[in-house]
Amino acid sequence: MKKALALILALVMVLTLAACGGSSTDSEAQTPADEGDKTVKIGVLVSDVSGEEALGFRAYYEDYIAKNYNVTFTYTEQLEDAAAEKAAIEKFAAQGYDAILSLAASDRATQIETCEANGLYYAVVSGMLDDAQFEQYKGNEHFVGQIGPSMDTEYEAGYAMGQYFAQQGVKTVGIYGAFIPNPMHVYRTAGVLAGLGCTYGGASDKDGIAGQLFGDQGVDMSKVACGDIQIVGYFQGFGDTTFDELFAIIGQQPDAFLSVGMATTFFADSLNGANIPYSDIDSFTSGNAANMADGTLTYLAGKYSSSIGPIFAATLNAVNGNPIRDAEGNAISISQSYLVATDSATFDSIFNGDKGDSPIFSKDVLDTVIGAVSYDDFVKLVESK
Amino acid sequence: MDNEAILRKYKLRQKLINILPVAALAVLFTILVVTVQAKGYRLDMYLKIVFNEGVVLAVVATGAVFIYTLGSFDISLGASTLFSATMGVMTYNATGSLALMILVIFGAAVGCSLLSSVLASVFHIPVFVTTVAMMSVLSAIAAQIITTNGGAVGGISIPSALVKPLDNMGFKIAALAVFWLVCFFVFSFTKIGRRQKFLGGNPVCAQLTGIQVNKYAIIAFVMAGLGVGLGAFLTLVYTPSVTATTAGSIGMNIVVAIVFGGMPISGGPRSRIYAALVGGFSYILLNNILKLLIDSNIGYGVSQIVSAVFFLAVVYVTGLNYRSQMLPR
Repeated sequence: MKKALALILALVMVLTLAACGGSSTDSEAQTPADEGDKTVKIGVLVSDVSGEEALGFRAYYEDYIAKNYNVTFTYTEQLEDAAAEKAAIEKFAAQGYDAILSLAASDRATQIETCEANGLYYAVVSGMLDDAQFEQYKGNEHFVGQIGPSMDTEYEAGYAMGQYFAQQGVKTVGIYGAFIPNPMHVYRTAGVLAGLGCTYGGASDKDGIAGQLFGDQGVDMSKVACGDIQIVGYFQGFGDTTFDELFAIIGQQPDAFLSVGMATTFFADSLNGANIPYSDIDSFTSGNAANMADGTLTYLAGKYSSSIGPIFAATLNAVNGNPIRDAEGNAISISQSYLVATDSATFDSIFNGDKGDSPIFSKDVLDTVIGAVSYDDFVKLVESK
Repeated sequence: MDNEAILRKYKLRQKLINILPVAALAVLFTILVVTVQAKGYRLDMYLKIVFNEGVVLAVVATGAVFIYTLGSFDISLGASTLFSATMGVMTYNATGSLALMILVIFGAAVGCSLLSSVLASVFHIPVFVTTVAMMSVLSAIAAQIITTNGGAVGGISIPSALVKPLDNMGFKIAALAVFWLVCFFVFSFTKIGRRQKFLGGNPVCAQLTGIQVNKYAIIAFVMAGLGVGLGAFLTLVYTPSVTATTAGSIGMNIVVAIVFGGMPISGGPRSRIYAALVGGFSYILLNNILKLLIDSNIGYGVSQIVSAVFFLAVVYVTGLNYRSQMLPR
């Protein structure tokens, strides 16, 4: 009896799903906004919900942009994999959203295809597709584009950090590889090694080092060869032994501790307390301002919170029928570099210039590219900041 | 109270508790439909999303019921799904053959499952221990393959056009139905299911009657492996890419699904083959309802907390059925 009931219910559900699934076409999901009088609904895909950078971005969209434009932002919960990203997009489509801004990167190709299938505009925020992927999707009508650091930029950010400390004359360093094999962290770490003047498995170039790091899923210290600088310890990830690894490095009193991400979130107190100069690639936040003013944070390459303003403007334009495309009609693709601060004065000038009601990409600035605007003018604005 | 009255009361309570998971599924389904319509969202799309989210869990968990019936516990099924999908993608990218890809996915899934079983039998260690080890090993191997071959993209993939024709409700419903019916037949109409329940309920007694533990353990792991293989393939059909985090939550969700479906984790005679199907979809429905009702701006994790409370409540209610002076029937 019970089995039969379960089977009947399951069949009813399945048939209902099947019937409803075929009851309308995908194009019905598209609900273009009438310029000016309809609130534009934007869904934001996120894979990091607690990092300083992620919180800064969210505050800019929700506390500044949403108050100055007729737009709402809805954030997803932490998306763990490609299936979760796709399901999130489909839910936004089911709820009549107009566009998706993506800070999640498990499978951007599927994200684009899902948005295209559901008539949602899509943009990559603070990141870039792989070159081959961009070539494949750049002509898609609903792909607005991408603005953020490319993998080349990530490598260069790491390289500049390593080079800075080498030029400062450090002799011993510890390195934190963050979440390798995350590609972003792989390229940054490759850059740090090259910037310090080290080779890895005999390679000294970007692709040579990064390729091996992907294969090794981390830095194999036996493959590192440096000149005058000694790497006293390397670790990555975050788990039960992370602080043991950190304290093992701190115990050797290195001249500097170089991190390619998240050190200011995880290790700031320990490093400040041990009086060890450290660096990170993160963002310009109040926490990092304190670490640089009162602690031993000596080098920060970071994004500022409103750096994600232009991609919002481009997306809003697309929703309102003014898509920005290049001369060939393709989606925009602009690499955004990191800003670097090595002292409090520089940090504060960047941080204070991008706070609360007076962000770098303020409403006044964004308004210059909202509406009908040429690709060249848009690029000029992004690259001017 | 005489024995007959006790028996009547017991049977009534057992009936009510046994019907609870199915009733809960119906209630949750109704709540979702009402909520989606009240909010003015597209019901057809929402139902499709729920089905897509639930189908892989339902398939893998249905296979896993055979293992759980024995009183064993396999925590490596998520990692097996990831590993099988990874091997499938690598095979397709090397050969260009969809048939070979499917064959490798199922081969890898059944192979992983059997390895867990054989290791447990040979070394006489609890299955749970071997599956913990397998989870670590399979995740590490898959991550190594994915990151080595995925490079800057962070994942490996097959052309989406290859599986797009299969990414529809008809195919997925058919796949789920066929697999479920096979499992239903094996579990309910052959001696395999009966003997596995016996083994799960009282292994010493079962062995004394001549039932071979290893034989039925291997059959259970083969069935679970088939579920993992189908789950891995359906995962690729939905998103044709694999990253190191793919299927990461399946391992624990299977436990939740089976409990939601009204089956005891300890297995034995109260094991039910439909528990995974009912519980899997109930769990997905509950998650979606909570996400619809709870404002995402309230804070991350609120829906998980509510879900956990619900889970404990279900365990308590279904547990009433086990705390009885009567033998299970």
